[in-house]
Amino acid sequence: MAPADKAIKPVLSYRLLLRDAAILLALTLVAAAACSLVGVAKLSWPVWTMRLMRLGMAATVGAALASAGMALQALLRNPLAEPYILGVSSGAGVGVLLGSVLAGTIGLAAWVSTPVLALIGALATCAIVYGIAQRRGRLDPYVLLLSGVIVNVFNGALMLAILLFADPNGVINMVGWGMGMIRDTVSPTLLLVCVVAVVAGWAALMLRGSSFNALSLGDEVAASVGVAVHYLRVETFGVAALMTAGAVALAGPVGFVGLIVPHLCRLIVGPDHRRLVMYCGLVGAVFLMVADTLCRTVGEWVSLGAVPVGIVTALAGGPFFIFLLRRRNREGA
Amino acid sequence: MSEQHILSAGELAFGYRRDLPVLRGVSLTAAAGKLLCVLGPNGSGKTTLLRCLLGQIRPDGGQIMLDGKPLGRYSPRQLARLMAYVPQTPRTAFSFSVKELVLMGRLAHTGLLGMEGEQDLAVAKQAMLMTGTAEFADRMLDELSGGEAQCVMIARALAQQPSVMLLDEPTSQLDIHNQLIIHRMMQRLAHDWEMAVVCISHDVNLAGRFADELLLMREGQVIAAGPPREVLRVDLLEQTYQVKIDLISTGAGEVPIVHAR
Repeated sequence: MAPADKAIKPVLSYRLLLRDAAILLALTLVAAAACSLVGVAKLSWPVWTMRLMRLGMAATVGAALASAGMALQALLRNPLAEPYILGVSSGAGVGVLLGSVLAGTIGLAAWVSTPVLALIGALATCAIVYGIAQRRGRLDPYVLLLSGVIVNVFNGALMLAILLFADPNGVINMVGWGMGMIRDTVSPTLLLVCVVAVVAGWAALMLRGSSFNALSLGDEVAASVGVAVHYLRVETFGVAALMTAGAVALAGPVGFVGLIVPHLCRLIVGPDHRRLVMYCGLVGAVFLMVADTLCRTVGEWVSLGAVPVGIVTALAGGPFFIFLLRRRNREGA
Repeated sequence: MSEQHILSAGELAFGYRRDLPVLRGVSLTAAAGKLLCVLGPNGSGKTTLLRCLLGQIRPDGGQIMLDGKPLGRYSPRQLARLMAYVPQTPRTAFSFSVKELVLMGRLAHTGLLGMEGEQDLAVAKQAMLMTGTAEFADRMLDELSGGEAQCVMIARALAQQPSVMLLDEPTSQLDIHNQLIIHRMMQRLAHDWEMAVVCISHDVNLAGRFADELLLMREGQVIAAGPPREVLRVDLLEQTYQVKIDLISTGAGEVPIVHAR
């Protein structure tokens, strides 16, 4: 039975990666084109370009959150880790609100202040949540999730306080944003800044696929096969914070994308992170484009105006989280 | 010289807290072609010693030389090409196949994207054949028995093509059959593959039977070091484990069996 004379087949090759890239890009473009044609409003050039812009935002946000979720799951060896659940998104949200207040009061450009402060908020949250959950470099998975819950509550209070302080009458408008919402219009400069942040983060993750694989054997074994574990931890938190900040600056804290998409992708291609990075990015983009097109169409149809895409992702993600939690308990992990 | 004494530690001192030393002047030499087993009661500092040797904690005092160069001067990648590590329990966070796991040992040999070439596949295959894991190359780790999974972990370490292999109680959760398999494998790595193999163990008799060198530790200090027949003495073992010991002779010139009363 032992194939002594047969060479083992490679697990992964450049050809396979290129094939993945081609298929996923084609899927993304087809999805974008299809989504841009769906809608109640009569199709015209301005309507179509506006939809494309909105789809661009959705794709950026989806790619960012899905990739950040995958990176956090790999780093923390916790399939339930995700920017929204760990509070990284709400930390970025505090930064975005502070940024827009600052832009209003001292006249700093919003495309500078919101992403930068979102990044600072996301990084601070990463540091706090990790600091609470780790003891001598070891993480208790449930303490990690609980610290995320607490930090989320705290950040929610901060956001509300900032809003009340800045514009008490505008609070109701911000409820939708707080759920995670993609608007019809966006400053093109802000979109560009966020796209650059997300693509840079994605490229950084592409180079770390094999290190993420090794991390699943534990920090000590990963270090022994040549991963600079401490450095990788700082880098990965930084990259996840950067991508989350880019997403939140565009759309607010959209939840559960970073949970649903990586698990879906693992079902399709398996656990190899060298392939998962690409899958998570593009499947995440498709996922959020479709979810947001649903929201936009429903909004147009019942004349509700803007429907937050976060409603769809949370309605899908909440039960999914519970499913993963139950499965984890059953396996006794 | 580097061929003879590939990994050596001199007067290592370490404490997780300043007032609580774990290692108090430990010296050892792991030579190429030799299996060295480190024995000692729980809390004697064996695992801490191993973590120092792996370069994962920096000793407070003393120094570690690998291949004639201080351990701290190696980068993680350079270190991974010289030294491999097998933990106590084989476990992964995500469900990988045996082949994927063994290929993870090639990380320090691959390029920017971590893609394996033909050479990497050949080395991985050889590692799987050596450890008897080639026949379940495509199975998932969590489908294997404890013994099989530990063989996969050794194959993964072998794929690094190391000169030194460090193992932390690799057989503590295995049945006697698998304990023998793993010990024979370690012996073969030392004798046939010319590696320096260091194994932390709780089984005095298996260690005595298979090791070329033994090191007895208690409370962060070395009680004795040398070939099994010199180290497995009643006085030394009683001092190490603080129990009454009987030695049962198995014949002239053979390593005796240790029995705790």
